[in-house]
Amino acid sequence: MNRILKKLFSNATSLIGIILLFFFIIIAIFAPAITPPLSDDPYQIPRMSWDINPQPPGSPMSDDMKEIYEFLEKEVKWEKAICGTAEGGYDIFYGLIWGTRTAFKIGLITVLLSMLIGVILGSISAYFGGWIDEILMRITDIFLSFPFLVAAMVLTTVLGRGLDKVMIALISFGWMGYARLIRGSILSAKEETYVMAAKALGVNDTKIIWKHLLPNTIFPVMVQATMNIGSMVVTAAALSFLGVGAPVGYADWGQMVSFARNWIIGSSGHAGQYWYAVFYPGIFIVLFVLSWNLIGDTLRDILDPRLRGEL
Amino acid sequence: MKNKKKLLLEIKDLKTHFFTEEGVVKAVDGVDFEVYQGETLGIVGESGCGKSVTAFSILRLLDYPGKTVGGEVNFKGENLLKKTEDEMRKIRGKEIAMIFQEPMTALNPVFTVGFQVSEALMMHFKMSKEEAKKKSVELLKKVGIPIPEQRVNEYPHQLSGGMRQRAMIAMAMSCDPILLIADEPTTALDVTIQAQILDLMMNLLKEFNGSLIMITHDLGVIAEIADRIAIMYAGKVVEYADKKTIFHHPLHPYTLGLLTSIPRLDMEMKRLNVIPGMVPNPLHFPSGCKFNPRCRFTTDRCKKEEPPLIKIEEGHLVKCWNLDKVEKEVKKGFLVGV
Amino acid sequence: MADLLLQVKNLVKYFPIKKGVFRKTVGWIKAVDDISFEVYEGETLGLVGESGCGKTTTALTILRLEEPNKGQIIFDGKDITRIKRSDMQKERKHMQIIFQDPYSSLDPRMRIKDIIAEGMLTHNILKNTQERYEKVGELLKKVGIPAEYMDRFPHEFSGGQRQRIGIARALALEPKIIMCDEAVSALDVSIRSQIINLLKDLQEEYNLTYLFVAHDLSVIKYISDRVVVMYLGKIVEIADKKEFFNEPFHPYAQALISAVPVPNPDYKKERILLQGDVPSPANPPKGCRFHPRCFKVMKICSKIEPKLKEIKAGHFCACHLYDK
Repeated sequence: MNRILKKLFSNATSLIGIILLFFFIIIAIFAPAITPPLSDDPYQIPRMSWDINPQPPGSPMSDDMKEIYEFLEKEVKWEKAICGTAEGGYDIFYGLIWGTRTAFKIGLITVLLSMLIGVILGSISAYFGGWIDEILMRITDIFLSFPFLVAAMVLTTVLGRGLDKVMIALISFGWMGYARLIRGSILSAKEETYVMAAKALGVNDTKIIWKHLLPNTIFPVMVQATMNIGSMVVTAAALSFLGVGAPVGYADWGQMVSFARNWIIGSSGHAGQYWYAVFYPGIFIVLFVLSWNLIGDTLRDILDPRLRGEL
Repeated sequence: MKNKKKLLLEIKDLKTHFFTEEGVVKAVDGVDFEVYQGETLGIVGESGCGKSVTAFSILRLLDYPGKTVGGEVNFKGENLLKKTEDEMRKIRGKEIAMIFQEPMTALNPVFTVGFQVSEALMMHFKMSKEEAKKKSVELLKKVGIPIPEQRVNEYPHQLSGGMRQRAMIAMAMSCDPILLIADEPTTALDVTIQAQILDLMMNLLKEFNGSLIMITHDLGVIAEIADRIAIMYAGKVVEYADKKTIFHHPLHPYTLGLLTSIPRLDMEMKRLNVIPGMVPNPLHFPSGCKFNPRCRFTTDRCKKEEPPLIKIEEGHLVKCWNLDKVEKEVKKGFLVGV
Repeated sequence: MADLLLQVKNLVKYFPIKKGVFRKTVGWIKAVDDISFEVYEGETLGLVGESGCGKTTTALTILRLEEPNKGQIIFDGKDITRIKRSDMQKERKHMQIIFQDPYSSLDPRMRIKDIIAEGMLTHNILKNTQERYEKVGELLKKVGIPAEYMDRFPHEFSGGQRQRIGIARALALEPKIIMCDEAVSALDVSIRSQIINLLKDLQEEYNLTYLFVAHDLSVIKYISDRVVVMYLGKIVEIADKKEFFNEPFHPYAQALISAVPVPNPDYKKERILLQGDVPSPANPPKGCRFHPRCFKVMKICSKIEPKLKEIKAGHFCACHLYDK
């Protein structure tokens, strides 16, 4: 374990990834301190004004908004919208900060749950083989045959809008890769002599899978999972962009980009006038995905040339 | 030595080191032996002693991070270490050929057996494809592969282990090399097949009056086919002598240890002798004599100073400080039989 | 007369050859084809043969790590051939195995104390962890590894040491019989004698019975009390060790013995060179399986399979040369 950490820190690309990730973690942890919520639901982005057009960075909070917050007895900690506002006066900066929490939620939960499902199905399939393997793999194939985005969209249409529905869709159509990956590894690992040795000792099947097979095969799956955290966030953003994700004003980068879609081009005569509405959430998505990818990439490189058993 | 045979290959103080991340591995660190025309030299040693690296050093088949850093490899009087790559290519396969331990990995799985045997012929003798194929069929027949006209078009995986090894011998012998280096050629084979292959090799070499360097850890095989023997340990030759001397009057403690610790068919062993400890890690060789931690004759001098290769008599070299002690033990009778 | 510990009766193990999209069974690899023999308490039975003869499959099938197709396995008076999984798990305490490859037989991610303790954990021997690890320490000392090393991982040990750990693991359950499946074949020559001596010492101390599977006749000669020779799934000869090496009856056994190189340049032996390769166990020859390579072949050999008969007291052979 220590050697892996050392390698991760000594490699330039993974170091960048780790620094970026660290930056995001800090933001996520300190979100309430950086931008205290102004409504009961902290994920509700507060408005800075009632303007329909996005306001540029540095715009102050409008007076009528200040009055409203005074009335609601909410302490306004900042006067200016540092990154500007989106359509309807939503503070972009707030969205970026709390959106970090959302991104972690989406990334970690979907990956963890889909990995759990995939690993369980894949390892049962590989260990027992025969018709169990056939059936489970055919089920996997069926799920794989659905184009992911379409399937996710259909599912969210059926279940309704909302980020949690998006996560259900991502998990439902995201476990197959892990199942196949772990199945391949276990198919070869179960032929190893130490598995036969465990059988000779009288160890039962569940214990063999749990104690011997999984620890020896889970690493490539975890590398894949690390890479997927970023891509889950992008996919969720895509679904938000298509209108089936988080509702308007929710602190989610994808939702913010989606909401800015009307303003990408800018107004007549001023191309790119509202760049900030798209740029800021966009760059956060890019950097978040990049950080996980860089770490995952290095993990994979560490894994490949290593002989088993040196870890 | 009774008859003055022609000296074909002379290795002098050969050193090949590997420059790895973790340090310098002195895989071969002072190897000396001679191979005479028409004779078989057996190189005996366990894993990690440097015997394969020695073979690769002779043919200069080593790649980074391995490098031959010293010594001489005098083949027919010329130092191979000083030759250019082009000159070496003319020698490999034509004058010196090599066969390996794992025929499945040494043979290219995507080319037919016939093609691989023909390759050397086409390269060294500029034969056409048809001529080379004809010669390949003859060679396959010579090495005892039945229905060679059919086999020549088959792929390695279609042949059994013994057949593959025969094919490899055919490949090696195709250009009538004067020196054949065989690196554990029969270790992976069943014992009855091993007997066939050894028999074949001996017959072929007798026919061509060629020489053989046989690398193995099996002392039984060595006793059957070698004329002279070099015992290697931790990258060095620790004893070099003719067959009878090695088996009946060895002088190095390691040789003695090996001979007394192997079970054998020709005598009832009361108890197997044990060489305690294990082969040293090449990155952490002990100081002084490399064998000293496992040696029962070891003295303080052995721990500090490495012994030189001492010439006992013509053709018998030993690398040890305690020759008289070992000799006493040998004279007592060292094989614990019934 | 020692007690009968293990009886193998007409044991058959075939492996299916599957081809095609629907994995239809197109043939069978007749790895073990109707063999019978006995193992007595406290002895070392050497099971010898070349690759493909079925000796390893025999050892695995006796332990039901491969399920037998036909026949009976009677261990310590109990017929264990078809008993339930859960009952078999209980029997496993008494029958253990040491594998050939010291590198893949230990789980690389487990500390060796856990590898050795796993059997005890499974069978609930020595309830608390401390007692179990104490026993692990004792076992390690017995096999010649310092007990302080028990927290280390397999990759920190050499091949010979790993094999010792494998032996300690087998001993942990205090078995009655241990299958040694080519236990020393993958080790360096100078390490082999260490392990062989260790096995012999342990046998004496614990009154163990060994079924020693090997292809190296020299090792078999040193360690066995009795010898069983297999060829292509069949037993061709059974005899006491001395009797066997003194006067082997079966032509294959004679060829096998003559093929073994002896580390003695003056040793003269009868040179018997067999022709051809070992045929495939998927398609064994008709009649006597050895007949295509046999240097004493007769007409009857290609037609009728010879039965294993007792030619002399305790010396069995399956060969038409001895048909009276």
